Formats: sequence, structure tokens, C-alpha cells
Amino acid sequence: MEAAGAVEAAAKGAFVLGNLAEVVERVLGFLPTKALLRAACVCRLWRECARRILRARQRVAWVSALEPGPAESHALVRALARELEKVHVLPQTVLYIADAETFSGHEECHEQKKARKRNSKETAIALEKLLPKRCQVLGLVTPGIVVTPMGSSSNQPQEIEEGEAGFALLFPKIDGVKIHTFHFSKDLKNRVFDESKFAEAGLKNNPDLRVVLLFGYNSWKSGATRFLHQIVNPLNEKSIILAGGQVESFTSLTSENNNAQPGDACGVVGLAFSGPQIQSATVLLDQDVADERTAEAAMQRLKAANIPERNTIGFMFACVGRGYRHYKTKRNMEADAFRKFFPNVPLFGFFGHGEIGCDRIVTGNFVLRECNDIKDDLLHGYTTVMTLIHLGSTKANQV
Amino acid sequence: MSLSEKNSVVFAYESSVHSTNVLLSLDDQRKQDILCDVTILVEDQRFRAHKAVLAACSNYFLSRIVGQVDADLIITLPEEVTLKGFSPLLQFAYTAKLILNKDNVSEVCKCAEFLGVHNIEESCFQFLKFKFLDFKSDQQECPRKKCCTQRCRKTNPKIGNVDDGDLEIDDEAEELLEKECNQTPDTKLCKDEENAKSSPALQDNANQTCDPVHLERGGVSSLSSQCPKYRKFQKAFGNDKVHTSESNSSIKDIQVPPIATFLEKEISDNDGIQKAQECVPMQLVSKCEETQVKMEEGEEGIEKKDESKRDSVTQNVSCPVEKMDLAAFPQNSAAPHGLNSVSFLHTCEQYGNLNFSSMQTNTVLAEKTVSGTGIGNDRIESQDDAPSKVDLCTREATNITSAGDRSSVEREVAEHLAKGFWSDIYSTEACQIHLPPAVPKECLEPVYSGKKSECPWLGIRISESPEPCSQRTFTTLNSVNCPFISNLSTEGCSNSSEISSGDYVQGQQQEQCPYNYVISLGEDSETDTEGDSESCSAREQECEVKLPFNAQRIISLSRNDFQSFLKMHKLTPEQLDCIHDIRRRSKNRIAAQRCRKRKLDCIQNLESEIEKLQNEKENLLKERNHILSTLGETKQNLTGLCQQVCKEAALSHEQIQILAKYSSSDCPLSFLFPERERTAPSDSELAIPACIELADGLSGVTSTNEQSSCYQCVKSVCDATYNQIQELHPVSVRTLEKTSLVEQCGQSGGITDFCQQMTDKCTTDE
Repeated sequence: MEAAGAVEAAAKGAFVLGNLAEVVERVLGFLPTKALLRAACVCRLWRECARRILRARQRVAWVSALEPGPAESHALVRALARELEKVHVLPQTVLYIADAETFSGHEECHEQKKARKRNSKETAIALEKLLPKRCQVLGLVTPGIVVTPMGSSSNQPQEIEEGEAGFALLFPKIDGVKIHTFHFSKDLKNRVFDESKFAEAGLKNNPDLRVVLLFGYNSWKSGATRFLHQIVNPLNEKSIILAGGQVESFTSLTSENNNAQPGDACGVVGLAFSGPQIQSATVLLDQDVADERTAEAAMQRLKAANIPERNTIGFMFACVGRGYRHYKTKRNMEADAFRKFFPNVPLFGFFGHGEIGCDRIVTGNFVLRECNDIKDDLLHGYTTVMTLIHLGSTKANQV
Repeated sequence: MSLSEKNSVVFAYESSVHSTNVLLSLDDQRKQDILCDVTILVEDQRFRAHKAVLAACSNYFLSRIVGQVDADLIITLPEEVTLKGFSPLLQFAYTAKLILNKDNVSEVCKCAEFLGVHNIEESCFQFLKFKFLDFKSDQQECPRKKCCTQRCRKTNPKIGNVDDGDLEIDDEAEELLEKECNQTPDTKLCKDEENAKSSPALQDNANQTCDPVHLERGGVSSLSSQCPKYRKFQKAFGNDKVHTSESNSSIKDIQVPPIATFLEKEISDNDGIQKAQECVPMQLVSKCEETQVKMEEGEEGIEKKDESKRDSVTQNVSCPVEKMDLAAFPQNSAAPHGLNSVSFLHTCEQYGNLNFSSMQTNTVLAEKTVSGTGIGNDRIESQDDAPSKVDLCTREATNITSAGDRSSVEREVAEHLAKGFWSDIYSTEACQIHLPPAVPKECLEPVYSGKKSECPWLGIRISESPEPCSQRTFTTLNSVNCPFISNLSTEGCSNSSEISSGDYVQGQQQEQCPYNYVISLGEDSETDTEGDSESCSAREQECEVKLPFNAQRIISLSRNDFQSFLKMHKLTPEQLDCIHDIRRRSKNRIAAQRCRKRKLDCIQNLESEIEKLQNEKENLLKERNHILSTLGETKQNLTGLCQQVCKEAALSHEQIQILAKYSSSDCPLSFLFPERERTAPSDSELAIPACIELADGLSGVTSTNEQSSCYQCVKSVCDATYNQIQELHPVSVRTLEKTSLVEQCGQSGGITDFCQQMTDKCTTDE
């Protein structure tokens, strides 16, 4: 009798899980992405459910690594390996930034000098291996990292100027938002930059383009500034937000067309965000911003841009010369000021060798920008660029 | 089927550039004055435009234009719309592009609001206001202003959100005031109405506040043009004034004429006064209601309110106090009490401040003292105190009226205010600090002249005021206040529960009370340093006036661009010189800035380095002392040991000498012997046999060689430890080795003990 009952119950359960899409979808909805993809192999129904669930997951997720661990791998690699199992999005574009010292292994460490020596290339490959094959990865190494710890987006962002740290921003496929990576490197033979490359990268004839994050590398090379100007100035004529900075180098760039690696030449890598629903604002904290009051004033300005704070990420690109030394040894000043005015926006960024940015607001309805008779210069030093990017008001049906 | 359906297929052609092009051609038409059918008069300047375009862009024009049949309509805009604010907006209507700069942003904002221009988002004005206020203007005062406006902005969206703990009644009142202060009366009105719509709880309040505004507006239209910013404040003050005035009829009598003079400087008859008085009770009631609605803590609050209503004649003085208290209670739970009280004082003073040029300060003072005590102590207590204070005020008021000279009155008022302020802060009892009346006056004058130029954004139009005297004091106070206020307001910001809006009032106190300077010291020092950079840019601007392009451009061009740029323009040698000068100077300045910064960084680094090194040195010295003392101890031990050994071995004098010969000079043995020889030569004979005994014990061979080797061994142990201690290296291991060696060599308990001791010491040292 009992056995028959059990069999009957099992049959019922199988029927429910094999036929009722709503139930299956609800159940599967609790799974993180990797588990969901495994579950999708069970049957057609489950596959369809999994696909629907994945499509609905459009919030940006991130993995951050703050504390150094065992020496054999970078903290970010370990954190990513661990957290990708739990993450609820299927990353399509990934931007990761790690600190240069530990990532590239230049660090001088008395006790473990040999143990810490790492190859940035290997680390980058290890990172890329963890990510889905078809996803675009842009990896940068910089002298310092600004990162919001994992978990809640209202966690206190940390400015980590020295020490092992990193983060990876995982952008899923978001309806109405296109994110793609691009890479321009200086052609030694050609002094004039070929504008057709812009069109290739989707930076030209793209009316929905809203935000471009630009990262120059090998900026110490002669002619690098000129090259950067060649890239930045045409972009600056458009009604888009430009932000970014000079990084130490970039370590990975996988996109559909090339698998470029930084050579000796200087160049620019970047992320372009296009989509009519994107709203963005950026402010520049110049050299005069050197105490709490002025920093908060700048944040108030950013706040006044009135960018929605849901589904928004903040970027902070600061100069290595800023940070706690600039604020009279007060640590974490700018990140704290940001948190004060934007309690629920995660903040990411780096300390680099130069910044790109200005005061500007771009939304679907209007653009507010400086218009001087001369071209405003977007390349700065000793400044901080704070940027908010709102990726549209998607209804979040996940945590 | 197929044929007919194919014929009915509809295609749509959509041009993406059409709208832009239409606008462009309209703009061309406007420029060439084709088909323009309306003339706008703004501050005596005429603008030609198209009715349809204006009506499509602005609510105001829509309402003005619709229904007009006049072929060539002339619209004269009210004085709220300024030329500076209007022309960019007209341009926007035709080009969709709004050109904003530091000078016009606030005017454009006001005008846009007044005219109801579509498609302009408020956030861009706010963004720019912050930008210009923060960075382009004097840093001393901008933060407070910024804070104030920001708060204003913040509160606006929040109004609907009555439950928000941060919002207090006071805040709301202040916020109204602030809003008003930032906008023209009309826009203000609009805002108020908006507020009313947004929060039903506020409705009564807002409407009522609106009404008086209307009343006033009707009566004082001439005034509005003079100082729109203060009108609302006045209104609010009137409100407060009436509270007190009702409690004390004598005070009221004295107060009313000044109100009139202040509100309507040109209208001296009593109509204005009456109106003001009418307004005030209404507002009072509204405020009370507001308190009721808002304070959900409210049993207490409602009680108080009822009380206040009941005893409106006798206890009206307590009404403001209650209000304050109500606000204070919820806040206290969250924020430190001290801050609250300060900010409350702010608000009080704000009222007082605005009034203060007229003689109503007295009443305000009374309120202030009352409220202050209320905050500081118990509410009830404050109420008890209130009558006596009011009496005091009355006395003062009469004094003031008796004094005919206006400036002296002002002085006194200011003095009273100051007293009231400080009595509030420092003692809950109204203890009077007597300042010589001349002092505040003196303070005010020079400061005024000095600071006036530095705070242009306060927008105080001194020249326009019919009563230069009172107005002037106003300006002085305002401009001076800022540092203090910014201080407080930043505090308020950080607390986020309370932001002081009493900008204008605060400064005044500062002038009069030396204590205030203590508070604002840090800010002041900053302003000093900013002075020179200001002057520099001013010089530049002087030159720039003569040039066809702006100095910024000269500076920002790269070298090549700059040269071609110069070639492009035909410039006189003077201009060239000037340009080169500007460029060089600015480059130098930038370089100097960088250099300074670098140097400062460098100095900072070096300083920290020095500190570190000094610490290190100290540590090392300490260590050295310690080591030296250990060394001394060790030597003593060794000497003792050697003596013992020698005694036990009973070495002969010669033997000892031989020993000494073989042992190195720094061996304790060597310094042992001279000593021995000096002190007791007879002992040496005893010592030698002991030595031999020891040697026997150790190696069983008595030859001197053997002995010496044995002693060598001991000596080496000693040496080793000695050296080790001197160098303070990782000793323990080697010492251990030595110990074992010594153990191998001999079983003399003394030596092993000693070695053990040494090892211990070394390990602990390490």
C-alpha cells in the first residue's frame, strides 16, 4: 500500500514538474545561473523555462575581491571562481579591473618574493576561462581600485590604493541596451587616425550611443596624448558621456573580431553603452576639490542631475595622486561622499594615470554640456571623474 | 483578392530631420522678421517672434496669446521676467538649445518657471547652480548657499512625504522661505500651490501662506521689484511678529509701524499694516494646523496647539516655542540635541534677521529667547519664563522707539539680537551680555565695504533700496554671515535631519558676538588664502576686456594652435603683449600650482619619513640602552664566574698570567686579572688550583696547554655570547650551540647555569 502511495506521489510530482511551466519556472527561478543552465538540460519544458528566466535577469551583477589570500592566484580569480556559481545573471559583457601590483607580479615582498611572482597573462587567461565563452571581456590593471563589496549595492565602497583587490562587473543582456567593447591601437605607420574604425566599433552613425568609457594604456609613450586626442575629440562632438582614464595596461579583450593584446604601442580600449533608455551624468572633481566639503559639493552636483538611482552603477576614475594623500590623509573620502548622496548605487573604478571626463548630463530628453568656442579638453590629471550610468528602468524580478 | 488588397497597402514615410529643419527655418524667419506676429517687451527691449511658436513652447504665452485677435500683438512681460533670463529662453524656443552661464542661470531658471517653458528639466539648472556656486565663486560663501538651495530642492520632492522623519515643521516653514528667497514671488506662488497639491496634509498650510502672499502682492507690487527675495521672509516674520504682538499689545503698537515701513517702504499709510496683520494670524493658524497634521507624535503637540489656540491672546508667545519643541522632539531621537537647538535658533534668527532692520527685532528676540529656553530646558519651563522675557522685550522696544535716531535703533536691535542669541545658547535664562553699542556698528561698516564685492550671488541690490541705511546693514550682515552659516549648515547637512536655513540671520550675530568667530575660524582662514587667486583673475579679466576673445582661450590653446590663432587675428602690439602676458602668466600659475602641490606632497612625505625615522631612532636607542645594561650584567656575571673558577681551580699567578695571555683582551678573564692583581694578589694563588681542578674535571689532563685550551673554550663561549649581545643578532640558536659546546667541554654547574641564563636573556631580548 505504502509503496504504491509513494509511487503515486512520485508520479504526480513528475507530472507537475514535467508539465506545469508556471511551477517549474517558479522553482527554477531560485537557482543561480550556472545551476539553471544545468537544469535546462533536463527537458524541453525546463529549457524553455530556464531561457525565460535568464532573459528576465537584467540587473548588473558584480564580483569583488578585497582581501589578499593564498599566493598561488590573484584574489579576483578566486572570488570570481567562487561567486560565479552563485551569480544570478548570465554575463554577456564583463569589465574587470584589478590592481597592477599583485596582478602583474611586480610586487616586492620580502618573505614571499618568489611565491608572489605571477604572470598577468596567465591570470587573465584564468579569469577568462571562468567566464562564458561568448562573453566579451575587457580587463584592465590599474594602480588602485575602487570597489563596492559584494552583496548589497548599498555596501560602503572602498578605495584601495595599495594591496590586492579587483572587481568584475557582469553585464547581462539588457533589453534596449547594447554594450560592446572596442580597441584602437596606434598604428605606427599611420599618423592620421582612420575614422572608419569608429564606424566599425559602433561609435559612429549610432544615434543611441550614450556613454563611452575610454581607457588609454601605455600612455607614457610619446604621441600617446595626441593619439588619445584623436580618439576623444571626434567622440566629444557627439552628445554622449565620455569618461575613463589612463590605465597601466589592459590584460584581456575578447570580442567577436579580435583577440588583441597590448603591444608596445599605445592605444585605447573601451566600452560603449548605447540605448535610448540610458541616462548618464558625470562630474569632474578638479584639483581644487581637496576636502570633504568640496567633494560633497561635487556629489551634490551629480545628485542634482537627477539620474534615477535604480539599476544604476557609479564609476569613479581618480588619479593616483589623489586618494588619501590628497585629502590630508583622510581615506576613502570620495567614495564616502558618493555613498552619502547615493546610498544605493554601487561604485566602481580605479586610480589611474590620468582621467577623461567633464561635467555633463545626457538623458533621453536632453543633453547638458559645456559649450565653449574652443574644444573643451577632456584629458585631465590630478582629478577625479565620477560617472553615473542608469541602464533603464527594468523591472527587477530578482534580488 | 490579391489585387484589391495590394492596392490598399499603406506606406508611411517618416522623416527624422523634419522637425529640426522646421525649427531652423522658423528661426531664420525670426531673425529676418518674416511672418512675425508678436512683439515681446522685456525691460524695454523688443523681441519679435511667432505667436504659434511661443504658445507652443510656454504655458504663459499660450494663455496670453489665445483669444487675442490683434494682428500685431505686443506683450509686455511683467518685471519678474528679466532680459537676461528671457533671451536665452526665446532662443531655446527656436533652436532647442539653451545657453547657460554663471551669470544667467538663476535668471533663466526663474523665467523658465514663470513662463512655464516646456521641455526644460529643472535638474539641469540645479546641476549648473551647484557647479557655478561651488567652483567659480568664492568658496567661502558658496557652500552655505549651495547647501541652502540643495536643501530646498531636496525638500521639494519630499513634501508629499509627510512621514519622512527628517522633515519637520520648521523645515517646511524654512523651506518655504528658502524657496521664496530663491525665486521671484510669482514662481514662489506657483511652487506653493504645487506643494499644496502634492501633499494634502500641507494643503491648508500652503494655501494659506499663498493667500497672504497674494494680499501682500497686491499691496506691495512696487516692493516686489525692489527686493523680491526678502518679501517672503518678511511675510514670515510678520507671522511671527504677530504672535508676540498679540500677547503684548504694547509691543504690537510699537511693532506695527516698522512692519509697514519695511514691507512697503513707500506706502506709509495703515492699509499695508492692516493687511500684514491680517495675513499673520492666518498664517499662524495654518502653521498650527500644520504642526497638528505633521506631528504624529502628536498627542503632546496637539495638546500644545490647542492650548495655544485657546489662549491666543495671552499665550501666543508660547506658540512659536511649542512649534519648536514639537519639531525638536522627533529630532532629538535621531540627532544630537545641541545641534538641534542651534539650528532652531537659526530659524528663529532668520526671522529676526530679516526683520531686524526695522524695529521688530525685539519681538523676534522675545521669541527667540523663549524658543531657546524651550529647547534648552523643558517646554513648560520656557513657557513660565516667557512672560518675563516678553516684558523685557517690551522694555527694550520702548527704549528703541524713544531713540529717534534710526541707526542707533538698529544698533540696539542688533545688540539685542546678539544678546538674545547668546543667552539662548549659553544659558537658558535670559542673561544679558552687555556689548558696547558702538562695537557692532563699527564691525558692520568695514566688513560691508570689504565683503560686498565678494558675494555677488546674494543678489542684494543695494542701490535699489529706498532706505539705504537699513538695506545696507542687511547686505553687510548677509555677506558676512556666510562662513558661519556654511559651517553650521554643513553640520546640518551631515546630520541630514536639520539644515539651517537662517543664512541671513546668522551672519549678523557673528558680527556682534566675538564668540561666533571662534566657531567660524577655520572658514575664515580659508577665505584669506583665496584672496590672491581672485585678484589674479580679476587682473586678467581687465586685460581681457580689450581683447576680441576670451582669456580662457588664450590659455587653453596648445602652442602651435596658439600661434596660428594669433596669426589669424590681426592684433595690435599692445594686444599681443597682453595676450602673451596672459598666457605666460597663466602657464606660470599652473606650473606654480603644480610645483607647489608637488612640493607640498614632498614635504608631507618627508615629514612622515622624518617622523618614522625619529621613532626608529628612539626605539634603537632604547634597545641600545637595554643591551648595554644586559652587557654590564653579563660582564659582572662573567667576572664572578671567572673568579669562582679561578678560585676553585686555585691557579697560580703565573698560570693566570698565561691564561690572560692566551685569552683575548675583551675576555672577562683579562680584565679580571689586573683587578685581582690590584686588589688581592694573595687570592690569585688560591684561584689557580681551582682552575686546575676545573681543568682536571674537564679534560683530565693538567698540562698548561690542555688547560689553556680548556679556558679557550670557556673564553670562546664568553666571547661568543658577548659578541652576540653586542650585535644583537638572532642569538638564541648560536647560544644554544655554545651551550651544548660548553656542556660538552665541562660540567661546571656555574658555567652551564650562566649559559642557560644567557640564552634566556638573549631569547627574551629578541
